[in-house]
Amino acid sequence: MTTAEANGIKKYLAIYVCLLVITALQFVIGYQNIAGSQLVVRFLTFAVIETILVVLFWMNLGSEKKVFVKFIVYFMLFVLATMNYIWTDSFRLLVFRLTGLGPS
Amino acid sequence: MSEAHLTMGAHAAPPMEARPFAIPSKKLAMWLFLMADVMTFAACVAAYGFLRNSTPDWPRPFHGVTSVAIMTLIMLTSSLTMLIGLRAAKMDDKAGAFRWMMITAAAGVIFTLLHIRDWMGMINQGVGLFQNPWGPAAFGAGFYVVTGFSLLHISAGTIALIIVAIRYRGGRYDADDVEIVNLFWQFVGLVWLFIVPVVYLMNLAR
Repeated sequence: MTTAEANGIKKYLAIYVCLLVITALQFVIGYQNIAGSQLVVRFLTFAVIETILVVLFWMNLGSEKKVFVKFIVYFMLFVLATMNYIWTDSFRLLVFRLTGLGPS
Repeated sequence: MSEAHLTMGAHAAPPMEARPFAIPSKKLAMWLFLMADVMTFAACVAAYGFLRNSTPDWPRPFHGVTSVAIMTLIMLTSSLTMLIGLRAAKMDDKAGAFRWMMITAAAGVIFTLLHIRDWMGMINQGVGLFQNPWGPAAFGAGFYVVTGFSLLHISAGTIALIIVAIRYRGGRYDADDVEIVNLFWQFVGLVWLFIVPVVYLMNLAR
């Protein structure tokens, strides 16, 4: 095995260990008594870090042309941003259900 | 049309079109498919989050997540073995690539079996698509749709892995095809890393 090949596998192993550690942290946080919104923020932060590691190094997006990387990143950000329009309505429904108010 | 035009048309090669983003067409097609799949998964997870957020007394039925932790470990490890298989394929080591891809497929089968076992446990507790013993009926629908869609992808990915591995060893596929199936496998593993906190860890019994 050449030095470059060994370095490549070392890189994969390093990412694997990072992902294991981050996932283990998620499980630890899951068992702690943390408020719902804080829990979501922490889980999403860890999930985004995992996504960046996997997409850049395991799906090799980091070694593609910059224009392609930009295309993927902008598209994903657009999708995720548009998904966030629903949350305010979910809170409105929650208030209606808890208070018994709202449209009959 | 003149005879000269006919002659030119018969012999001249068609002009080569430039590859979009300078990557192979098959790889671009897989990326486009994955982007579409991201939208589908994001919609499923967002719908689940919407239901969870807007429903008072959302159940928290998961007392232990040992099996989920084992499934996550298997999924992460299978992603690594897939990468080692891809590396072997790029070095033209057919036997090595085949072996690592089959190890990955075996991990996919074990994951699928554990997932089905997890589902059976939920079904035995009375959780159906439109009912559960803890209250809001939407819980069952949300749980089965999100995890079921992931399970469908992992099962399909396992079958694809086996087919590509066999055809790669037989010489019908090359390292580019292994790279494409690697993209899909890494993607389904990544989706599982989102499902675990949203569906399981957010709903631990306290």
